[in-house]
Amino acid sequence: MTTNVTEAAISWRGVKLRNEQFTLGPLDIEIPRGMVTAIVGPNGSGKSTLFRSLLGLEPIREGEATALGVRLNGCEDESYKREVGFLPENPYGHENSLTADEKAKFASGLYPNWDWEKYRKLLRHFDVDGSVKLSKMSKGMRRKAELSIAMSHDPELLLLDEPSSGLDPFAWKTMLEELQRYMEPGDRTLVLATHILEEIRRLADYILFLYRGKVLGLYEKDRLLDDWRTLVVQLSASGPGIEKLDATPGLQGLTEAGPGLYRLEVDSPEQGEQYCRACGFQVLGIQRMELEDILSCLIRKEEARR
Amino acid sequence: MWLPIRIDEQRPEPLYHQIEVQLRGLILGGQLQEGTMLPSIRELAVGLKCSAITIRRVYQDLENEGLIRTRQGTGTFVAGVETSVRDEHRLERASEELERALEAGLQLHCTFDELEGLFRDLIRRKKDSKEGSS
Repeated sequence: MTTNVTEAAISWRGVKLRNEQFTLGPLDIEIPRGMVTAIVGPNGSGKSTLFRSLLGLEPIREGEATALGVRLNGCEDESYKREVGFLPENPYGHENSLTADEKAKFASGLYPNWDWEKYRKLLRHFDVDGSVKLSKMSKGMRRKAELSIAMSHDPELLLLDEPSSGLDPFAWKTMLEELQRYMEPGDRTLVLATHILEEIRRLADYILFLYRGKVLGLYEKDRLLDDWRTLVVQLSASGPGIEKLDATPGLQGLTEAGPGLYRLEVDSPEQGEQYCRACGFQVLGIQRMELEDILSCLIRKEEARR
Repeated sequence: MWLPIRIDEQRPEPLYHQIEVQLRGLILGGQLQEGTMLPSIRELAVGLKCSAITIRRVYQDLENEGLIRTRQGTGTFVAGVETSVRDEHRLERASEELERALEAGLQLHCTFDELEGLFRDLIRRKKDSKEGSS
């Protein structure tokens, strides 16, 4: 991989997206090129709006957004769109009467890089019959067909909105393999919105965390996993009390786990541990945290700030 | 290609460090022979459920140490390692393991003399059983 980490595939500077129901932003982030960025957040946090803006479907009236070096303003030129692949969260109703092959035929006219060989390979790997009407396919089958079509022009930027919804575990595994293959050259950028943490564990390099239209942060996944730990601490009857625990450096969460036993969630574990020991608490264990626990901790913090 | 590397959730070391130490060990220990092709950065990242950034860092460090070579367009390969370097690593690893055993003994409130006695006993028994069986 020869990609420069600092190079951004997408950048938002002071971008605010507004529609009737919803404001997203301000966005001040850069999505690195050659990497997989997972967008996570509860429903309604702004993921789909973000995708729409990258497709030129949302006018950007405040701030500046660029993707693949092109400034986005709501009416992007065709050369930009050719380099983007997109799988929407829900299938388009107006395509119901098309077969997968007919939709592919249409797509092949839009994308000069369209590769029929790649399309057939993807369908074979996903075990999809391209001659079946999209409306006659099961949800998972249609998902596999649409994903194949979204990838068959080997786009520079691939945007997937909940790609695994409706997929059975076997198809899901095939999808992971295909996405891994897609990333292999090292210069492709994948942005996927997902609720499936296992997908994030396996695929993501970065996690963009959205919550109620706000960016809670863009994190390097392994940094997050390295930095966040659970400390299990035993207080003695004679020693200092729980109020001391509240001052633990990097403290993000504190729960009672038994009599005199506390579970601390910290994002600077070394200092946290030193502090606890210096206070005379007994540190019984230190463990990495699961991604879902880190994320819910971040949400709790944001909730408390509101 | 699958590599016998595993992340220990209890260890305080960051992911890249854990992976780097184990991969270095596989090369210096001779389990990975010169010329072996390593997984691509993305493949290893997916396999270990870590990010490509972490694996790239590991590969860069090991390349700087001369343990692996990246050939543009073909892949990453294990480089040749001199015997002296291997020996040094072998002794280093053994010393670490012994130190860990020593720590465990001290935690059980053994004295140094007791531990030394135990160690000599163990060596004598091992030697005897080896000579007996050969």
